Amino acid sequence: MSDETPNPTRGSIRERGPFRNPGWAGNTGEFDLTEDQVRGDDFVGERPLDGGHPSGSPTFPYMLADKDPEAPLFEGPYAQRFEKIRSRYPDAQAALLPALNLAQELRGHVSPETMREVGEMLGLSDAYVRGVATFYTMYNKRPVGRYLIQVCTNISCNLCGGDEVLEAFLAATETELGQISEDGFFTVMEVECLAACGFPTAVQINSRYYENVTPADVPDILARLREEGA
Amino acid sequence: MAYPYTHEKETRVLSRGFGDPATRTLAGWKALEGYEGLRKALGMSREEVVETVKSSGLRGRGGAGFPTGVKWSFMPKEKKGPHYLCCNADESEPGTFKDRELLRWTPHQVIEGCLIGAYAMQAEHVYIYCRGEFFEAVQVLAKALEEAYAANLVGEDILGSGVSIDVTIHSGAGAYICGEETALMNSLEGRRGLPRIKPPFPAAVGAFGKPTTINNVETLAAIPHILRHGGEWYRQWGTERSPGTKLFCVSGHVKLPGNYELPLGFPMKELIYDVCGGFHEGRSLKAVIPGGSSVPLMNAEECESCTLDYEGVVKAGSMLGCASVIVMDDTANVVKQVRRMVDFYAHESCGQCTPCREGTQWTARILKRIETGKGTEEDLDTLLELGVQMTGTTICVLSDSAAAPVASSIAKFRDDYLALIRRGERVGAA
Repeated sequence: MSDETPNPTRGSIRERGPFRNPGWAGNTGEFDLTEDQVRGDDFVGERPLDGGHPSGSPTFPYMLADKDPEAPLFEGPYAQRFEKIRSRYPDAQAALLPALNLAQELRGHVSPETMREVGEMLGLSDAYVRGVATFYTMYNKRPVGRYLIQVCTNISCNLCGGDEVLEAFLAATETELGQISEDGFFTVMEVECLAACGFPTAVQINSRYYENVTPADVPDILARLREEGA
Repeated sequence: MAYPYTHEKETRVLSRGFGDPATRTLAGWKALEGYEGLRKALGMSREEVVETVKSSGLRGRGGAGFPTGVKWSFMPKEKKGPHYLCCNADESEPGTFKDRELLRWTPHQVIEGCLIGAYAMQAEHVYIYCRGEFFEAVQVLAKALEEAYAANLVGEDILGSGVSIDVTIHSGAGAYICGEETALMNSLEGRRGLPRIKPPFPAAVGAFGKPTTINNVETLAAIPHILRHGGEWYRQWGTERSPGTKLFCVSGHVKLPGNYELPLGFPMKELIYDVCGGFHEGRSLKAVIPGGSSVPLMNAEECESCTLDYEGVVKAGSMLGCASVIVMDDTANVVKQVRRMVDFYAHESCGQCTPCREGTQWTARILKRIETGKGTEEDLDTLLELGVQMTGTTICVLSDSAAAPVASSIAKFRDDYLALIRRGERVGAA
């Protein structure tokens, strides 16, 4: 609707200052925690590529900017992680989702060829793996940019301007939904509720959450990513 | 002022560590008497643990509100093979954002709850099914779990008790439906997340065909406190039928949205106007969705005397669900928001049942038509008729969840629909 009253919730209520605490749920500038403390990075430290303790190996902890669509499945520390994953489930089939996660972590997306390879490793048919992989939205069926920007436009974020944040990201990256920007850096997508509804608009960029994002924050966020990924 | 907003009317039991990085660590959690509940549980018989949880009256926090102790008692007493406990951390109901906070600020609280539950139900393996998007929270949880393994709080012969329990964090890959307990088990087994027909119930035939119980993160996070202090202690808050405290996730058009831990039975008006600071200047309450996007909308009148406990919200014409209070002021376009919610359900329908697969898509298309001024009054009747056919006719309740906001919004905000339809007709005639 073009004649909709502009939503007053954004900006005006919290009197947001400069973009200080990305990811800090609240971002009101009244808290003295560092970004590392907010995200838990100070506690987690660097998680090893082999997945560390087997209890956490089936998780999907990394979404890397560097992707290698030709990376072998799986070698070195990744082979160890794959074995740890297998050891946590009573059968091979249950390791399918974590194994696909692992493949996507390395390759950036899950191609039909990747599905076939993973299926072979677990003794599952190509058709079965494809049926499962296409059911879940987090498996990128096509390559994405170095940074996958996923903007929540579901109800709570939508009430507070999620649609405009999505527009701002698309405009700033000069892309259409799902496209890779010309410099290969960004892909912008719409995502369903990210479970950060109290801190709208919620945006997930690779493995990080950015909360309380307004259209005005978009240039700062992109500049930061360009710097990180340079 | 602490994380990110707090209020003096809160009772912070589960959320005590929110905003304090120290609580993440084993030492920090122990400083808050962490793992005392586990120690106490291991000194009791399994039946005593279940009885304690029963006596607390704790009800499942994932939406259905089923008494947790009773659910636990459905597990077979005699063990014939492996038992499993799944912690449901696939938080994806629009409006809900409590589980992520519990995981990333108080991971040991969740782990301790899992261990007590596993002990009570003789489960040797706990799977914490986290939604795939929770990269950051999951890393915190994995680190905490590593600490717990190193301290012999998880694994073989826990604290010399002879009890062995493994815990594994499992990441999903993006599917709302996997929050439904039987779909979660299918997903855990490496299948598509398709809900299963019940019976058999998970306590009889669950994950990997074995007896399984699925509990929400917030439910399990309450368990250590109940074990430490007893069931009666937990009943000091809340109402007779809805005891205890609950994390209320408030989002939308209030000044201070966030997670607030309050006793159940708290008045809704006090939550919106007092705890959350009310509305922006000159705005007023239009609609509230009290339990996440799956429950009927409430209008301002219904909110007047509504109390936030399972029974109180039903009395006021909706459901408490997982206490995700989405607030809309008078600037909100109700039709657009309902359409957005239905789009979500259409996207997330697993496609097994025809009323849901087709019904959510049709509903979404009709709503879009109305929103863009191309609708007719008959469309409203079609929507209501569709809603009837989508309710109670499918394996799980996703279809019912899509129909609830449509039917309730047409009943309570019919003028909003008519305004769009009439304006569209005028534009069309001109």
